[in-house]
Amino acid sequence: MKLSTYNFLTSMAIKGVKVGFPLKLTINKKEEVESEFNPTFIERLLPKLDWAAIYGAAQVAELADDIPPTQPENIGENELLLQKLHHLLFEIDVLEGQLECPETGRIFPITDGIPNMLLNEDEV
Amino acid sequence: METPYTDHLTREDYDHVYEPAEDSFLLLDALEKDLNFLEKLKPSLCVEIGSGSGVIITALAKKIGTGSICLATDINLKACDATRKTAVRNGARVCPIRCNLTDALRSRTVDVLLFNPPYVVTSDEELQTQQFNSGAEPSTERNLVFSWAGGKDGRRITDLLLDKLDDVLSPTGVLYLLLLQENKPNEIIKHLDSLHFRAVKFLERRIPGEYLHILKVTRSLT
Repeated sequence: MKLSTYNFLTSMAIKGVKVGFPLKLTINKKEEVESEFNPTFIERLLPKLDWAAIYGAAQVAELADDIPPTQPENIGENELLLQKLHHLLFEIDVLEGQLECPETGRIFPITDGIPNMLLNEDEV
Repeated sequence: METPYTDHLTREDYDHVYEPAEDSFLLLDALEKDLNFLEKLKPSLCVEIGSGSGVIITALAKKIGTGSICLATDINLKACDATRKTAVRNGARVCPIRCNLTDALRSRTVDVLLFNPPYVVTSDEELQTQQFNSGAEPSTERNLVFSWAGGKDGRRITDLLLDKLDDVLSPTGVLYLLLLQENKPNEIIKHLDSLHFRAVKFLERRIPGEYLHILKVTRSLT
């Protein structure tokens, strides 16, 4: 699971959960994969990024020094930061770990790189 | 658009995962036909529901390259796994998520949504509890049944998605939906109109035993 995917995941489908975001991320095993840097795209993606969630993910991925706690202005002119965002979002692949619903504590395992967000009938 | 390599998938994989067929290729052709539109749309998030082997989302991811995030959902773990392998085999960036429809995704984020639903008209019993029981691994046979059994009018799963489409698509989002004539596409177009979506028959094809449609669905401007 790429951290760009993590940015979009919620446990909102659980009955009674209001926001379900950001999920609490735990990484037990990750690998780095190379992915072509497309600065224009990273900039275009910014409105869909939840900066707090991304910053949290950077801390878990031990890349906290790369990402400022709040989104800087004029980020499009900061190619170095765009590059670091790209690395965080597209080059870290979480192979084993888990996601935890911030409201209910429900655990969603990540196994072989695939997050299992499937709910049981009594949870929805 | 190039058809992705699938030589890494075996007969055994297709015992658990829907094998690409005419319906899959019609959806690919629809995307090919609408490439100009997609290039102008500049989607940042593309999602395929029920990706199965992963050929469709992989073909799109190859075409868009690094210009978008491509995600794939499937309730079947073996399909998620096949999708991941197909993406890797073709050097495409696709991330599979095991979930029902788009339930695990934040609201109103999806710019391009693809769905080749289980559309075959069956009894409702055939798809009972299909989206549940994450703990229990369904049997081989059940995995495949869930890939095609659509219940009454072959619409049970499709209707579930359409009723929450407003919460799924981004403000400029588009859905490409594969349907069978028996799913009553005209009725679906009317239903979508009442939900403030504009649906058009974008592509159709007769194949032996089936008449297939691709609906293109966008938000109504009014």
